[in-house]
Amino acid sequence: MRRLIINLQLFWQGAVLSYRALFTWLRPTTFIASMIFFPLGQIMFFTLLGIYATGAQNASFFLIGNAMQITASSGIFGVTMAVGGERWAGTLMYLFGSPANRLAIFTGRAMVHVLNGFVEVLMGLAWGWLLGWVDFSRTDPLALGLTILIATFSTAAMGLLLGCLGLITLNIMFINNLIYFLLLLFSGANVPVTSLPWWMQYISWALPLTRGIQAARNVVGGAPLTQVIDLLAGELLIGVIYLVAGYSLFRVFEAEAKRRGTLEAF
Amino acid sequence: MFLKYTRAVFAAFKMSYLSLVMDGFFIFATLLMPLIYALIAFGLLRDKGANYGIYVAIGSGLAGLWSTLLFGSGNAITSERWTGTLENIAALPTPLWVIVFGKTLASTMQSLLSMIASYLLGWLVFGYPLGIAQPLEFFVVLSVGIVSFVAFGLMLAPAFLLNPQIQQFQNAMEYPVYILCGFLFPVALLPFWTTPFSYILSPFWTARALQSAAGGTLTLDQLGVDCAMILLLGVIYLGIAALLFRIVLHKARVDATLGLQ
Amino acid sequence: MNNTIQISNLRRVYKSHIGAFRRKLKVVEAVKDISFEVEPGELFGVLGPNGAGKTTTVKMLTTLLIPTSGTATILGYDVVKQADAIRPRIGFIFGGERGLYWRLSGIDNLRYFSALYQIDPEISKKRIPQLLELVGLTDRASEKVEGYSRGMKQRLHIARTLLNDPEVLFLDEPSIGLDPVAARDIRGVVRDMREQKKTILLTTHYMFEADELCRRIAVINHGKIIALDTPANLKRFVQDLAVVEFQVKTLTPQTLERLKALPIVDAVSVEEREQNSLVVVQSPRGAEAVPDLLAQFNGASIQKVSVREPTLEDAYVRLVNQADEPEVSLS
Repeated sequence: MRRLIINLQLFWQGAVLSYRALFTWLRPTTFIASMIFFPLGQIMFFTLLGIYATGAQNASFFLIGNAMQITASSGIFGVTMAVGGERWAGTLMYLFGSPANRLAIFTGRAMVHVLNGFVEVLMGLAWGWLLGWVDFSRTDPLALGLTILIATFSTAAMGLLLGCLGLITLNIMFINNLIYFLLLLFSGANVPVTSLPWWMQYISWALPLTRGIQAARNVVGGAPLTQVIDLLAGELLIGVIYLVAGYSLFRVFEAEAKRRGTLEAF
Repeated sequence: MFLKYTRAVFAAFKMSYLSLVMDGFFIFATLLMPLIYALIAFGLLRDKGANYGIYVAIGSGLAGLWSTLLFGSGNAITSERWTGTLENIAALPTPLWVIVFGKTLASTMQSLLSMIASYLLGWLVFGYPLGIAQPLEFFVVLSVGIVSFVAFGLMLAPAFLLNPQIQQFQNAMEYPVYILCGFLFPVALLPFWTTPFSYILSPFWTARALQSAAGGTLTLDQLGVDCAMILLLGVIYLGIAALLFRIVLHKARVDATLGLQ
Repeated sequence: MNNTIQISNLRRVYKSHIGAFRRKLKVVEAVKDISFEVEPGELFGVLGPNGAGKTTTVKMLTTLLIPTSGTATILGYDVVKQADAIRPRIGFIFGGERGLYWRLSGIDNLRYFSALYQIDPEISKKRIPQLLELVGLTDRASEKVEGYSRGMKQRLHIARTLLNDPEVLFLDEPSIGLDPVAARDIRGVVRDMREQKKTILLTTHYMFEADELCRRIAVINHGKIIALDTPANLKRFVQDLAVVEFQVKTLTPQTLERLKALPIVDAVSVEEREQNSLVVVQSPRGAEAVPDLLAQFNGASIQKVSVREPTLEDAYVRLVNQADEPEVSLS
């Protein structure tokens, strides 16, 4: 019981620290820039591109896809920086030396970005609604909320894996930007997955967000939760796989660093 | 005056080039990101016909150019602060703006790669015919456009140094410019009140003229108007840049509110 | 005006706003009133504790900061109105590792700065190898700076600052944070430059460095000059004193207070070491004072007691201590 409380505390501290590190501020300009301005710009750019290419009747297809994709900005960038940031701050050594439960610390950090991503997706959808690009009259709000939450979770789980990779490799900014933009291409947010070449479709289905975006489009279009439950289960499973992979990688990496005495290099 | 500083400009150019080619993020912004835009746009515009091939190649190339400028030139001074070298270059016989000019030139030239890369992608992978109907005009517009891009970069660098809050918007400034300049879709899709914003951005005129020249519809009149606008805006940007540089140096030396290190 | 550096009544005030909401104006007077002159070819030292105003003074002289009031000229040029004439003729270093391009090699750093200094390529082609030789970096010149030790970086800084063959050099704590061997190398290079008849203004808080190198020293504290003389004359200031040193294992604040309260004690300073503390007491009575002083330690385990002649450091400690207690007038 005591252990559980300690781990919960770690989880909470990780979460708070992570949020404070990301928003070192609570300055309104930073908030506006990264939470409103950037997502809005990206959603508008790709939706307008989609409208230009395929016609105004497809606006909601692109809007939903790109609003969901926004979760990757906190799920990928936020989480990788929260984990990889340890390295820049030079605090990784102390973390390795502590008896703290690593899973509690890291999921705590990721958790905040899941919530952040959730809010950002909601705001993206709200923008779409204001611009008249999407119609929610037939949507089950609970099913949509669940869909967004699961997609956000699995994206953040991938962010954890990338963050751990970032502890090993030099240029995390390169990796997370690349993955972020590849998601833009592979997730079906813009180009329908079925129209990609067959080998690319395999990649799509192995990534987070792909099923989530499809489920979100169905739910907004009026599908009940029961019809998208398979997609959501798949999305959740993908998230769990990435989470386990990221955590295992971190433990292997930690053990290696201790064994070889390369801790100082970080 | 320019002759006197040629060597300094070249040194800053070379130095910036050497550090940029080693920077993973820069390679990403210059080469990979425009290619991903191009892939998405090629994928979406496939049904619109072969004419759109060159349109996408130019548009995503310009998008890469803008992103490179935003980060390459935007960080030209702030990065010197990170390395602690700003103090050493602030009291030199060479003025600060000359150094920033050299660096901006480097990032602009390097980002031309993004245009070439998206061109090759459309041609080799998607098999689009990517002929340029009016090559001479295309070249003229591109040259004038680059001058204007550099002027824009000169404006960004001191602005970001002056106010870190503006730099917070660095990421957020990418897409609005893509949208307002009509890189990948015409600005006619936008509400009418956004048009003035497009008009004050020289990349808008550059994109318009380049796309017409590639498609073979660039008349002499349009060429004149577009180039005149690009140059006029370039001069205005330079004026603003000169003012900002003066404010930066004043703040650093007189108010001491701008730590140089 | 024949002096290379001429400063009169120099003053610099920093204004900053503190607090996020109700912003208060905070005014710090970093340099209050400083006047001195440095003759051609002189190596002039500026000593003072951290925050005394040394770096601010150097920044004003190198045209990086504009003085709030007062005037300063370098080689007869005004630092405010004729900054452009001064810049090609001076060189400066601020201590520490930063200020170089770590991703470039040592020689590329020098090439880059020489272009920015508008030096003729023909000249820099000859001068750069000479400078690398002077600072002992010839063998490592083509390696990236990120692999250099602190001492090597500092020596590269010195080479950089000599690129334009400056007439006047400003060295702000050039040996800060260096190990003793690296610091000695730096002093060697500074001595070489003195031989070349360059005018040098050196700030430091290492006493022996100033004693060894400088012809004259200005001691500043709280933005004011509290003494200005040759090292020998400054030492004469503590001639009447002797210095008693106690090496003790554990030192209590009470002991220090009691020592300071003794009428025969002029100044007390403590140097913390790894295994013990060194208490340095200045007293006019020298060896005779030892029994009285010993009594104040209350039987704490004293490992060593010694009496010695005062050094420049003791003079400095006395000066700074007196300046901190304004009621004591300078004798």
